[in-house]
Amino acid sequence: MTKIPHISSSISRLTVSLLLLVAGIGSTKAQVTKMFTLEKDSIPLFCGFSVSFDLVGPAMLLLNDHGEYEGALRVNLHDQWFPIFELGLGHANHKKDEITQLTYKTTAPYFRLGMDWNILRKKHQPNRMYAGFRYAFTNYKVDIIRENMVDPVWQTQADFGVEGMSCNMHWLEAVLGIDAKVFGPLHLGWTVRYKRRLFHNDGTLGATWYVPGFGTNDNDQLSANFNVIIDI
Amino acid sequence: MIEMKRHTKEEVRGLRLLPFYLFTFLLFLAACTSIDCPVNNRVRTIYALMKADGTPDTLNKDTMWIWTPRIDGNDTLVSHQTQNNLELNYFFGSSATTFDLPISYTQPEDVLYVLVKNISGTQYRDTIRIQKENTQHFESVDCQASYFHTITAVSTTHKIIDSIVINNPNVNYDQNTTHFKLYLKANR
Repeated sequence: MTKIPHISSSISRLTVSLLLLVAGIGSTKAQVTKMFTLEKDSIPLFCGFSVSFDLVGPAMLLLNDHGEYEGALRVNLHDQWFPIFELGLGHANHKKDEITQLTYKTTAPYFRLGMDWNILRKKHQPNRMYAGFRYAFTNYKVDIIRENMVDPVWQTQADFGVEGMSCNMHWLEAVLGIDAKVFGPLHLGWTVRYKRRLFHNDGTLGATWYVPGFGTNDNDQLSANFNVIIDI
Repeated sequence: MIEMKRHTKEEVRGLRLLPFYLFTFLLFLAACTSIDCPVNNRVRTIYALMKADGTPDTLNKDTMWIWTPRIDGNDTLVSHQTQNNLELNYFFGSSATTFDLPISYTQPEDVLYVLVKNISGTQYRDTIRIQKENTQHFESVDCQASYFHTITAVSTTHKIIDSIVINNPNVNYDQNTTHFKLYLKANR
């Protein structure tokens, strides 16, 4: 009878391994070499594609006033490396805030390009654990409107807002994820992402609020995706 | 056959993880959001009373009022400073050296009427004109919209004010800066 290790112990072991790997990057050439060395076995380099779509973004759109639709195409190279292209459409429609009376609207596409590594020791199995990175970019236009603003001292009308203000953002993401085979070509998985803003143009008003694909505008952001993945 | 049996077990294990995935998914959806507005969201101008030698000045026993004309024609008292003013004493003791005033959202020029009354009851009137550029400022939908300003020029009628100079032209949420240095005449 084959002993199947508990998933919790595997995750703990892998988390520790990942931390040690991150801590040791740049210091041990051997480790880096091993990471990029193809495991010697009978599995071919090209193992197929998978497509996936995220459920968190649409759920956020249903429950909130901003979110995104997002899909991804991932290439499987020897169950080790997974170059990935993600494409999404971010949307926000915050209508006349109850307190600040501000309206914020934007709808724009974004993309991410990157790579995942399968960090499990046994690569060729249906369940995987990934560490990876993404470069992402979006170019978006926003409407920010505050109607009927009045100067409290001088009592003058001071309408506030812009329409179609052009903005953009470049950012990097560090990704940690898991996916597990459910049945046939269907996998379910989640990724946790740490997003770090690189360059940004926030237009003429000082800042923007929701950035498609990034979330609320800040130096960094933490988010998660829940993916339905189909091997093709 | 053995390989196929192992594969089936892994598929079953994947299915067993489904509740865990759904729980994670729901947990993420339930994650709270934070409101991140500046602690100080007042946009006001700070004035420092100065002596000709560059040291801080006070009103001593004099009293100063500042008004501004409003769009409806009624003057509005925007500052009422006396040696007994509790609020200013709170900041600066009985010898206030600085005070703050509001700045209009969108007017290209603010006009301030100044009245200084000395201890013998003599009154001196003066006018300050502040030219500025106004910039809309947005932080987040959770934070009030505001206007920032760049002071481009300031002038006075020199009745009781010897001179007024721009110290920092940028008026924003920063309340730790002095925007104007106000030199009152010494023989008031």
